[in-house]
Amino acid sequence: MNTNHQGGLALIRATWLSWMQHRSFFFILAFGWMIQPLIFMFVWATAAGDSTIGGLTRGEIVAYYLTLILVNQITYSQTNWTVGDLIRGGDMNRLLLLPLSPLYNTLASELAGKVVYLTFVLPITVGLALLLKPEFHLTAVSLLAFLPALLFAWLLRFLWGYWLALLAFWAARADALLAVQDALVFLLAGQAAPTLLLPPALRLAAVILPFRYMVGFPAEVLTGQLNSAQLTVGFAAQLGWLAVTILLYQVMWRRGVRQYTAVGG
Amino acid sequence: MHLRLIRTFISASAQEEAAYRANFFISLLHSLLNFATGLLGLGIVYGQVQTIQGWDYASALAVLGVYLTISALRGLMMGPSLDSLAGMDGEVWRGAFDFTLLRPVRTQFLVSVRKWRLFALFDLLLGLLVLGTAVARLQVTLSLYPLAAFLLALAAGLLVLYAILLATASLVFWDPGLMVGWVFNSVFQMARYPVGMYPGWLRLILTWIIPVGFITTVPAAALSENLAWPLLAGGLAFALALFLAASLLFRAGLRRYASASS
Repeated sequence: MNTNHQGGLALIRATWLSWMQHRSFFFILAFGWMIQPLIFMFVWATAAGDSTIGGLTRGEIVAYYLTLILVNQITYSQTNWTVGDLIRGGDMNRLLLLPLSPLYNTLASELAGKVVYLTFVLPITVGLALLLKPEFHLTAVSLLAFLPALLFAWLLRFLWGYWLALLAFWAARADALLAVQDALVFLLAGQAAPTLLLPPALRLAAVILPFRYMVGFPAEVLTGQLNSAQLTVGFAAQLGWLAVTILLYQVMWRRGVRQYTAVGG
Repeated sequence: MHLRLIRTFISASAQEEAAYRANFFISLLHSLLNFATGLLGLGIVYGQVQTIQGWDYASALAVLGVYLTISALRGLMMGPSLDSLAGMDGEVWRGAFDFTLLRPVRTQFLVSVRKWRLFALFDLLLGLLVLGTAVARLQVTLSLYPLAAFLLALAAGLLVLYAILLATASLVFWDPGLMVGWVFNSVFQMARYPVGMYPGWLRLILTWIIPVGFITTVPAAALSENLAWPLLAGGLAFALALFLAASLLFRAGLRRYASASS
């Protein structure tokens, strides 16, 4: 494994600067990602009205969804598309020759992208918060638990997307799989509803499968929807899936590079 | 003559589509997922509540059905046609628009009908299925007036959608960025559910500024309750006005167009 961290940092900086040049394009993409959670926030908030739904008040629902929008943006990973294209187009050749792991290249675009997206999403979320009056009941526990939950969520989503992208070493297109994944993220990762409000069968699927731990879980943690047992089980599942994903990534990467034979780039 | 042209465009598009057979299954999967997530999303919400602002499950399902139907009709013809004009890698970007301008038919007609995506017929089927289920659940006996009102409102909704798509496509003559169209596509997602489910200020925006509520909520309301005829007439007039405005904008764009090549 290469350990050229300084080169990695320089690359991150350069990529960030080039991304900032195409701001409006990325703002529109970010708007597109916000729209689903926004729709469901409005629907649930209207449904709650002056009473509660599943124990959540209107303000608590708004707080959950505004957190979810931020978490979604912070953990969103484009590696599905970008790394797959690198492999298919043969551009991976150039990256393999650089004296640092190709993971850095992806990491650079990820970090650059996040900063650009957040300069758009953060003001909008703050504006919506002023308009819609969310109810946060923050406690020391929820704040302290939120940061690791968010970090693990990001790592999990990033590496999960990366191993899926590596399928491009074998199959020309993995679009079908990605489309199914998008649907599962919509239903089970806390966008259509907080896990708490899902019907029992879907709730079970959400707790078992990895998707909730990429987006919904940190938002549930921050807005205090989980008791301490649920919190412990949640973190255990999140870390378990993270370990599985790291393993998958390593296996796929080793096998994939060995079999990779693209020309050009 | 125009009908014969449309027939030719349809068969040419069908041949083009048939050349990419692997895409068929991907399209099938996308359609089914879109259908399933729409239904499940609504089902999850109505698993917790009976009505939202007077909209029960059946009437909200009717809105979803109208949304799927109108989206399918858009994907069948308007979408692909206008995309090939102003979309990414469209004619105006490539400088191939000159050849279209030279054709001996009205340009607006040509750019609006020349590309078809016949797979969207499957989406249309799914949309009609949802709509049919909604009508069965609403337990209304469809007499002549509601049915006619529904069809007229649906036509008006389609006209509004066409006007918006044509107007956003026309912007390509001023600025090659596609931003407005993309923003509209995101906002159009909100038309999946009745506008009544959104907070008041957003309802106003979705009715009067970006009239996506008009496209799906009004036709669905014609099914579940009796739409007052002045509202219907007003809606039709509004749709016609938007259509005329969009056509004027398109014409102004054409006048501005300075060939990029040849």
